[in-house]
Formats: sequence, structure tokens, C-alpha cells
Amino acid sequence: MAAGMELRVESLAKQFGGLRVFSEVTFSLEPGGLMGVIGPNGAGKTTLINVISGRQAPSDGHVLLDGRDVTGKPAHALSRLGVARSFQQTNIFRSVSVRENISRAVRFGQRGVQPGLDRLLSEFGLTERLDEQSDKLPYGLQKMLGLVMAFATRPSVLLLDEPAAGLERGERSRIDAFVQHVREAAGCSVLIVEHDMDLIRRLCPRVLVLDAGAVLADGAPAEVLARPDVIAAYLGDAEAEAA
Amino acid sequence: MHGRPAGLIRRLGGAEIAAVAIFIVAFAIPISTKSVLVYSVLNQVLVGVVATFSVWIMLRMNLLSFATPAFMAIGGYTVAIAGRYDITDAFLLTAGAFIMPALVAVPLGALVLRLRGTYFVLVTFVLSQIMQLVLFETPGLTGGSNGIAGIPPGTLLGTELASNQQVLLFACGLALLATLITALLTRYFRQHFAAIEENEILAESLGLVVWRYKALGFVVSAGVAGLAGYSLVNMLLTAHPSSFDSITAVDFIAYTIVGGRASILGPVVGSSLLIYATNLFGTHGQYAQGLYGVLIMVVILAARGGIVGTIGTLLRRRP
Repeated sequence: MAAGMELRVESLAKQFGGLRVFSEVTFSLEPGGLMGVIGPNGAGKTTLINVISGRQAPSDGHVLLDGRDVTGKPAHALSRLGVARSFQQTNIFRSVSVRENISRAVRFGQRGVQPGLDRLLSEFGLTERLDEQSDKLPYGLQKMLGLVMAFATRPSVLLLDEPAAGLERGERSRIDAFVQHVREAAGCSVLIVEHDMDLIRRLCPRVLVLDAGAVLADGAPAEVLARPDVIAAYLGDAEAEAA
Repeated sequence: MHGRPAGLIRRLGGAEIAAVAIFIVAFAIPISTKSVLVYSVLNQVLVGVVATFSVWIMLRMNLLSFATPAFMAIGGYTVAIAGRYDITDAFLLTAGAFIMPALVAVPLGALVLRLRGTYFVLVTFVLSQIMQLVLFETPGLTGGSNGIAGIPPGTLLGTELASNQQVLLFACGLALLATLITALLTRYFRQHFAAIEENEILAESLGLVVWRYKALGFVVSAGVAGLAGYSLVNMLLTAHPSSFDSITAVDFIAYTIVGGRASILGPVVGSSLLIYATNLFGTHGQYAQGLYGVLIMVVILAARGGIVGTIGTLLRRRP
């Protein structure tokens, strides 16, 4: 079993030219831990995942995996070290079958076949659709296929970028099942960026709030989501005062 | 056969086997006829197909390359310059025509493969333009605007390839070699190239070392273009800058699009049809270019996936 790894982010910053997306972001996620990242649109959540996963280079700061500095390593290298990610939009190979999608994830990841993969495919109703072209699947299943592909690379740290976005309310329980499965079957450390507060409350024992490119709060959801500054960041000052 | 080569050949699909078979059958043409017209058209087709394979390899990764004429020039001039030193062994020249452009492609690839889309297209076009400049401005090496004429005929196992028939048979051999290289590369790395073509970002996030496959494709594509350059120079016994004009890249791209980019048979069919059409329309003087353009437009409008792609779709739809 590929056990979870500790993910440490130290004073991480990203800017594009003169535009600062975030700075001084520091947190750690223990092996097998689960943490949510929330924040209003434009807070830098997706960019944070892009930087941690190697899609974009940081402007400053460090990313450490079990104490090893992996800052600035490219996405493929981090994937092979055990950092996998999902994307906000469905991100699958649309012109090929579900089976081929899974096969590519296993082959490109080069970390062997993920135990528990069959059970996950079956749980999401993908087993009987393995030979269907993936763009013929309903949107919800395409989204789940994207998540399963990230899991199929046998990650130790899994970064989920708005996994519930675009899913119908009834479909969102699949995300709960997915997160539970990857932690139980593979011991993955999981970081979830999400706007769905119910999902964050249900799943995450800890939540980090990003606002205007800085860490606003970090702690248990009940505490953090009750803070006036967090409410203000989401709803604006007037509503916060009313609250 | 045992081991890796046998494994590679077993991986070839129907289209790859058909392409190889076409070039094996092509050997029969120069043997069965002495027609000058047939020789001329077949020679052009063989050069065109090999050059188009070079474009097609890059298109497998969604990269539209205009660098093919530059690499053809390197392959062609390698052979021409070797001729000055009385190096005429066909095996040696074939190796040189493949390896020299492939070596040049290594540092070039490191620079240009960072680019995507329009930027890649523009930079590869500029590479071909720079190559033209180099050919014209280095007369000591390339003969400048005069090129290198009077290249000695090649020799194959001690036999001089002097007659038209021998030259054409050798061109068939080069085309067969280029087909095998292209087929083995694109088939062996089919999943990798297809993933890069469709969704490079996803492929990389899953762990695929995208730059490695792009570099491999670029280097082999350059080598294959070099073989086309050798074939062209061997036919003309002259290496001249005008034979490697950067605008000829447009023809190779048109051959690929018209034939179909989804299968290795696309470049074969597209090159054969359009080169034959060029020769046919050539008899209509001033209308030739217009007729050629109309043909390309008709095929593209009527068959979006190219000729081979559309035939494949129709066959799959049959009950």
C-alpha cells in the first residue's frame, strides 16, 4: 500500500508579473490527513494546487514531501513521487474508452496498479461502462472518472480541485465515498479545494481559508466558519455585521 | 524472430502493415515499366510521402511543424557534401542523412518544443527560413546560390546506382525505411502520443514525461525529413536551396490534411493524390495552381477527417 505522505508548504508565494496571487501560505498536512481549502473566487485556491502539483513554479517558498524539498519540480516528476491532482473541469481523454483512460493513468504514473481500483470503479458504476467512449458518459460520471484516474496513479498525496463542482446535489455523496475510499484503501493524504460548505463540514476535520492571496484562518470547520472575518470574506462586511 | 524487434513488429496495426505493403509493392513499378512520366511522378511521390511522414509524426502530438524543409536540406546537403569526398556508399549516406538532421534537432528541440500552437508554427517556419539563409550565405560549404551539382551516384553493395530505374528502386527502399521508422515509432508510443495530442496537461499530471516524447518525435521527424532530402538529392544529383524552400512545408501539411491525420495511410494517400494532381494540372498551364487549390478545398470540405479518415468512418458505420 502506498502510504500517505506529509505535505508541508512553507511561505509559498505566486505572482504573475505584478499580480500577486498569494503569498506567505504556510501549512502542513500530516500523512493520511484530510484538509479543506476554501475562499472566495480569485483567492488563489486553484493556483495553490497548480503550484503544489508542479503545474506552475512558485515565486517563493517551499513545498516539502515527507521532509524532502520538491519545490519547482515539474508535474510529471511530482506525480511519480506520489502527488496526484484532479481538475476543476472534467479532465479526461475524451476520444478514448473509460478503460483506456484508466490504463493511461496506471501506465503514465509508473507506480504499479492501485489496490482497490476495481472496487472504486464498481462503486461509481464505471465497471460496466469500461468499453464506452468516455465523452459519452454523463457529466457526473466523467467527473468521477477524472478522480478515479488521479487515484489510479497510486498517489500518496491527493489534491482535489473543486471535486463537487457541476455535480447535482444527489451526486455529491460520491465525493464523500471517494475520499473515504482513497484514505482507507491507500492511506492517502487529501487536500480538497471546494466551495460546497456542506461537503467541507462533512468531510474535513480541518479547514484553511484563503482570502486575497493570504491565509485568513486555519482550524476546525465549526470554529473557522463562525469567525466574522471569514464570513465577511465570503459575504462582504455588511452581511458580516448583520450576522 | 525473437526479442524486442519481433515484439515491435507485432505491435504494428493494420494501417501500418498496409503502408509497408504499399512500399513493398512500389518496387514492382520501376521493374515493370520504363515510362519516364511514371518514373518522374513516382519519384516525386516517394520524396513527398517521406517528407509528409515527418510532418505527420509531429501532428501525432498536435504540433504543426514547418521545419521539414530545413531538415530535408540538412539530410540532402549531408549527402551532397559527402559526395565531394567520394563517399558514395548508400548505407553510409542513408545513415548520415538520418543522423545529421536528427542531431541538429536535439538542441533545436530544446528551444522550440517549449512552445505550443501558433508560436510553434511560426518558430518552425522561421527555422526553415534561417536554413535558406545558411544555404545561400555559406558558399564554401553548400555552394551558395549555385548549390552542389554533379553529385556522384551512390553505390549499393558495390553496384553504382546510375540508371533511372536503380535510382527509383533506391527511392522505394528509402521510402520503405522511412515508413518502418514512422510506423514503429508512432505505434510503439501510440498511447503516449495520443495522450499528448488530446490533453497534454492531463497527461503530464498523470506522470507522463511529455517533453521526452515530444523531443523523441521531433528528432525522429527530423531524421525522416533527412531521408526525404537524400531521396530528392539522389534523384536530381544536385543539392540546391530552391529544392528546400520553406514554403514547400505547406505542401507537406496539405498532403497530411487531405490524406487524413489519424492514420499513417493518410500521408501516403494525400501525397500520392496531390502530387499526381499537380502533374495532371501542370498540363493546364496558368490554371494549374487554381485547380490544385480547388481540389484541396473540395476534399477538405467533403471529407473533414481527410480521405483515409472519412473512408474509415464510412466503413465503421456500415451495418
